[in-house]
Amino acid sequence: MTLTSEQKIKLYTNLVRCRKADEFFVEGFAAGKVLAFWHSGQGQEAIGVGAVTFLREDDYIFFTHRGEGVNELIPRGLSMKKYIARIFGKEGSGPAFPELGMMGMAGTVGGLFTIGAGLAFTAKQNGKGQVVMQCLGDGDTGHGTFHTALLMSRYWNLPTVFLCSNNAMAMWVPTNMIYPRENLADLVYGYDIPSAVVDGQDVEAVNYASQAAVDRARAGGGPSFIECKTHRFRTHNEGMADFCHTSYRDQSEIENWKQNRDPIKLYQEKLKKEGVLTDTDIARINSEIALEVKEAEEYVAGLPVPSEVPDNLEKAIYVD
Amino acid sequence: MREITYRQAINEALYEEMSRDNKVYLWGEDVCQGSGWGTHNSLAEEFGTERVRETAIHEDAIVGAAVGAGLGGYRIIADIMFVDFLLCAGDEFFNQAAKWRVHNGFQSNIPIVIKAAIGGYAHSGAVHSQCFEGLAMHTPGVKIALPATPADAKGLLKAAIRDNNPVLYLFHKKLLDATGEVPEGEHVVPLGAADIKREGSDVTVVATSFMVTKALQVADELHEKGISLEVIDPRTLEPFDIDTVITSVKKTKRAVIVDEDVSRCGPAAEIAMQIMERAHDCLASPIKRVAAANMPLPGGYLEQYALPQNQDISAAVETVLGLK
Repeated sequence: MTLTSEQKIKLYTNLVRCRKADEFFVEGFAAGKVLAFWHSGQGQEAIGVGAVTFLREDDYIFFTHRGEGVNELIPRGLSMKKYIARIFGKEGSGPAFPELGMMGMAGTVGGLFTIGAGLAFTAKQNGKGQVVMQCLGDGDTGHGTFHTALLMSRYWNLPTVFLCSNNAMAMWVPTNMIYPRENLADLVYGYDIPSAVVDGQDVEAVNYASQAAVDRARAGGGPSFIECKTHRFRTHNEGMADFCHTSYRDQSEIENWKQNRDPIKLYQEKLKKEGVLTDTDIARINSEIALEVKEAEEYVAGLPVPSEVPDNLEKAIYVD
Repeated sequence: MREITYRQAINEALYEEMSRDNKVYLWGEDVCQGSGWGTHNSLAEEFGTERVRETAIHEDAIVGAAVGAGLGGYRIIADIMFVDFLLCAGDEFFNQAAKWRVHNGFQSNIPIVIKAAIGGYAHSGAVHSQCFEGLAMHTPGVKIALPATPADAKGLLKAAIRDNNPVLYLFHKKLLDATGEVPEGEHVVPLGAADIKREGSDVTVVATSFMVTKALQVADELHEKGISLEVIDPRTLEPFDIDTVITSVKKTKRAVIVDEDVSRCGPAAEIAMQIMERAHDCLASPIKRVAAANMPLPGGYLEQYALPQNQDISAAVETVLGLK
């Protein structure tokens, strides 16, 4: 896919929106406003943004706890207002936004693969070219269902793009302690599924590879696997120390990534060089997004805390 | 009325529902021929292998993909050869299927049927003989159907397939060849309606699945001794029709609960407690439960000592009557 300037600006804007949203929630968590956990995805924005921004409305997406969906739902079109309202417990519960093709989460790491395969089965049966963008982390590949779902995706030729963010940490355990090979993409070779390894900090590289996989799936070519090498800038989840095995992650290395491997900085430089963005544009985008977040925050602060006691909770677990 | 086998009744239900709604699919291991205990006969020929699909041996994918397909508006009947293997799909069944709707904000529903064979009395050992109605009843979010007769086997399966929630449909291996009257034409048994299989006046016997057969045998024997049993088949444990049970207990004042699952924390314990909560002042004697021993089911000749036998049921009846 050759990107137009407009599309490039959209990608860049999405990167910044994702970063600003995550920063907002990290602050919110510290202030006790985030109801449950916050697993920051800072540093990994280019993967969701590159792969999801130009999907079709009737595609499906799944993602994991990394980033709490920020890097996928924002490019998918979820408004800051709705997202903040959900995370702060003011409107709705749980991670699902079915209207955006995000049907929910499983609660267990790796728990979504077989669910995604089932949804991909329906996409195939519908015959409209829908695809499932199944986002995962390196840690997920340890789960048995990663393998059983890959097998099923292949023998049923399902339209799934497995988009793997490899940030070299599976919670607090370095990936290289567990996986014998450099590239997780090697895992799918045995299932006869094509794969690619890309620089996850390069939003256009991610877009290029994922779009090829999406096109292939739409055309009935079946599943593929894209491994994006990336970096997790913050600790596994807010409030926990940045453990690594028996010690801690090397913060100077993380600082180095923030300086030299930040997907936003990298794309900024690229677009400036190409003449797609100027410093004025960049400043304008920043202030627009700051305003967007501020207005969303004020809107949500004005919402009442849900206080209606439901009639019969036990009945609501079933539909008619 | 015509008589067909329990196996044929299940086959008919599958045939009819797959004809009625082309979003109903059947998938699992060897479902075209080798598995299903004969309940899938001719389905692959009739509907083709798009709609009757064989999978690899991976229950987690069989169940998990059924959940995902439900989210996409399809109705999958996921076949599990022995219910024991449902634990291979533990996360998918107990965490995903049962909890998805609530966990994800009450925005979706999962219309799936997990069809699984239960039961012992065949010396098949601890991991091929279990009945998981206890585990399932303890897992809010899934409905549970366990037919005791061919008519119920057909009617409950049709209802289960049409239900928009997860339903665990448990059919007993020992009942497959049992024959019974099954109405021609549309025959749907709603979930949540118990059936009085035998009217009586002295003791209420609540029995599930194959235990209904045993309870009815015991009822015949004890009839000779002048004891009249009222045998109630809940047919579904979720929704559970406690009202029919209470009406009976208020009449007979005595209750015996018979369920083949493990006794401790099993459905018999739950049902007995529900009766206690609602009607303890009607009871002339404490409730007795008859269920499997609290142990992994041994194979071989030892099996009979761990499973409910007819004499256990009659002993329990005589105890609640104060005759023992």
